Amino acid sequence: MSVLDTPRIYFRGEITWDPIVTNNYSQLYDIATSKPVLGNGTVADYRELARTTIPGGNWNVHGTHRSTLFETTVTGVDVGNGTDRTDPLVGAGVSFAGKLVDLNPYLSSSSQLFYDDFSCGIQGGSQILGKGAGPMVARRINFARNSGYRVIAGVASVIWQASIPTEQLTCDPHGSPAVTRLRDLIAGDGFAGLTIRMNAYRTVYYNSESDDPAQVQKLAADIAGGGFHPNPARGLVVGVVGPWRHGEPPSVPGDRVLNQVAGSKVATAFARTGDGRVVIDLSNSVQETSFKVDKDDLGPLELVAKQAGGDVQLGTLEYADYNKDAYEATSGIVTLQLTDAQQAAAETADLILRRTNGAVLLREQALTAAADVPNLYLEQGEQATVSLTVRLRGRPPGGPVSVMLAEIGGPLPAVQVTTDDTGRASVPINGGTPGSWIWVLLPWQGQPPTAPAALNPGLFEYLTLRTTPADDDIAALEPTWDNVHANVLRYWEALAPCMDNWLRLGDEQQCAAYARIVKRLTSRDRFDRYGYMPVTRELTRGQRTLLHRWCDTVGGAAHDKAPAAAGRHLDLAADVSPVEAARDVFGRGF
Amino acid sequence: MIRLARQSMETIGDLNIALQKAIQIELSTLPPYLYAMFSIRDDTNEAAITRLQAIVHEEMTHMSLACNILNAIGGHPVIAQEAVVPTYPGPLPFDIGADGNEPFRISLLPFSPQAMAQGTHIEEPEEPLVFRNEFALAAEPTFDTIGQFYGNLDTRLKQLPAGQWSTTPRNQIGDHPFFAGQLFPVTDYDSASRAISHIVSEGEGNTQSPLDFEGDVAHYYRFEEIRRNQVLKKSADAPEGFVWGEPLGVDWSAVHPAIADPGEHDFSGDPTAQAVQDQCDFAFTDMLQEIERAVTGQPGRLGNAVRAMFDLRLAARVAFTTPLIGSDRAAGPSFRFRVRP
Repeated sequence: MSVLDTPRIYFRGEITWDPIVTNNYSQLYDIATSKPVLGNGTVADYRELARTTIPGGNWNVHGTHRSTLFETTVTGVDVGNGTDRTDPLVGAGVSFAGKLVDLNPYLSSSSQLFYDDFSCGIQGGSQILGKGAGPMVARRINFARNSGYRVIAGVASVIWQASIPTEQLTCDPHGSPAVTRLRDLIAGDGFAGLTIRMNAYRTVYYNSESDDPAQVQKLAADIAGGGFHPNPARGLVVGVVGPWRHGEPPSVPGDRVLNQVAGSKVATAFARTGDGRVVIDLSNSVQETSFKVDKDDLGPLELVAKQAGGDVQLGTLEYADYNKDAYEATSGIVTLQLTDAQQAAAETADLILRRTNGAVLLREQALTAAADVPNLYLEQGEQATVSLTVRLRGRPPGGPVSVMLAEIGGPLPAVQVTTDDTGRASVPINGGTPGSWIWVLLPWQGQPPTAPAALNPGLFEYLTLRTTPADDDIAALEPTWDNVHANVLRYWEALAPCMDNWLRLGDEQQCAAYARIVKRLTSRDRFDRYGYMPVTRELTRGQRTLLHRWCDTVGGAAHDKAPAAAGRHLDLAADVSPVEAARDVFGRGF
Repeated sequence: MIRLARQSMETIGDLNIALQKAIQIELSTLPPYLYAMFSIRDDTNEAAITRLQAIVHEEMTHMSLACNILNAIGGHPVIAQEAVVPTYPGPLPFDIGADGNEPFRISLLPFSPQAMAQGTHIEEPEEPLVFRNEFALAAEPTFDTIGQFYGNLDTRLKQLPAGQWSTTPRNQIGDHPFFAGQLFPVTDYDSASRAISHIVSEGEGNTQSPLDFEGDVAHYYRFEEIRRNQVLKKSADAPEGFVWGEPLGVDWSAVHPAIADPGEHDFSGDPTAQAVQDQCDFAFTDMLQEIERAVTGQPGRLGNAVRAMFDLRLAARVAFTTPLIGSDRAAGPSFRFRVRP
């Protein structure tokens, strides 16, 4: 459903990836304490230590976490009659800036993009503008996407998804049938808003098509020479915007799941059947074989419904349907028309994608489960309730279904919950021990499944949890500058040299002058915002308590403590502008 | 509309001079735009800030592209010398805008209709598209708009022999790690022409549309949107295709109470304000010095330039919130070229 329904809007372009990756290393970052490992060293010591790890793989010491679409435009629309490139929205720019944060920085399977705005088109013209309502989430990472390009994670691709509620959307058609149809559709019953789904692939590091040790050495040397030296990677992206129905998971695909089978080179895909067609999302599935992203030619691919009485052929995808040109034109989404008989078969039997020699590439997993909030943050001692949605071939199951939550690599026994007839269930989760955990979601009927020993993010839907420590001892400290710097600010100062551009976290006078802004940006109600501090979401409850007490103490004196002009001040009473918080300085000049 | 005395471009030396002029033109636009933008109070004028940030960002890329072209034909960009840094208030480089009369003078103005009108004047194309409520002026002969200047430059560059171009990228600034998708190396006429097209398109739009090559509103019309406090909207009913639409949400009162042209202010009896000005000037000068290093063979220094830009931003924020002695007004950055002692 969702983006596999019509109308939908296709876009294509590029995106930057600029995370700090110093916290990917356990010797540099302790996920249990949620703090960089400084020991008795200074901020300068830590930064230098991070710099020395560049040759070992730390490719972005000065990262900003910013991810921005660039050279990205609407490539086509489909209002139900096939791809249309005459809609006024086609060619319009697509704007998105998010902060890339791994819930668990040690792993590659829990990435998120915290963002405030997404738009296609410009104000005054055909435009869809949405205000973020929770992070965009990465799932189904495919570590075999590009067989011809393997620098760092350049081999991989991943699906990103977010949904924006109707009340946070502005749709100005200005003559665009696609925008008109979307606007009218989501205003009706049964629709919650719009879903954005992107596929990111062929990520280039060090701005180089190949491993280049000279670039690695140059980065280390540039940083040693002072200044600000982010090293953003950049990748390709295709995407689609479509309707979001009530009941569909906002952040992960809620469609029918066609899982990759062992030995197949085609990664997990998604499908929707109905209205006389089957729509398949192959955006994350077919390999590329070169840096130029030519698609692997697997020959004709047959889609069949696997019935007990014999397979029902639903259609054939020729190479022209999934090659590079087709992929870029419709963001990997392919539509096959169905007869009534074919549709009936497709809706009651598992789907299979296979080669003409019979080799199965993808096989449907009929029961699927997804969490409404697939990446969850808790503070130690907190409890949350996670909602799950189970589907049977993309539809409510019509009866109770069991779901096993199997912890990966953890000590806890699997948890079992049962859905209602609509496929909904709730799971209470406690933030007990600080750290990070993953639970694979395994819906089942009949025989209970065997919990996997390891996470295969391409095959499983899962729930991740990050619990930050309470740090009650830090909360109890006197709110002095020394305590705040030693227990809160120096960690950000050490891990995030990019902060020097905005606020010198080792400068008491400057921090005091901006205390109200700091308090606002670190408030928990801004946790999902683009401009939340710290960007890594590692601030603990105890740290926040101490920091805010200090901010309250010095905030009233801010008028008298301008950073450079001690003694006088006009206007520091003003809090940080949402404009400034939202418009990151790194990508838009100042 | 500002105009440039027509520039001779007959020799490679002439082209070097013309491209240096282009660099200085782009550089000279930044301080007045920044002064207006930095003067806006927090929590206000989101639409105006978004537009001004985009303009400033693009002006920086324009200067970099002009440097790339000059480097590609063997030249040496000069950015960090007192003689090439404009003073404010003052004329644009080379008396641009004189039109044979008094030079057009640029001031550092807090965010205001006057500041935005100054921006439209700088960015005005030869034949601006006229929408309802006409605001365009007629063209004059013998002098060039910035767009015409670049057009002539493009024509002459096209005539250069292939051997004049440094096909191996020479001192080029690409779009990594900054300005993704906005910068590219210049190694031949085609890439130089593309760079010129970007500069002109983003500044002026074109003769048929107020939109630039990326479908965004060009600088001239963005300034006009802010000045009018109206969104420029597409309209199928209007013969020009666009009309001035709903309010943009500009609040002219939401501005720090700052003086204009702080370079003319006497800070000698105000050591606090003088110290703030020093920080602004030093950061601005640091930035120019680092940019010059970056475009003359040390591309890694671009990161130092960006750090200095942020220093300037922080210093400007302090300046706009530090009252002058005996006054309820502040002085923003003067953007003077002053090397740290």
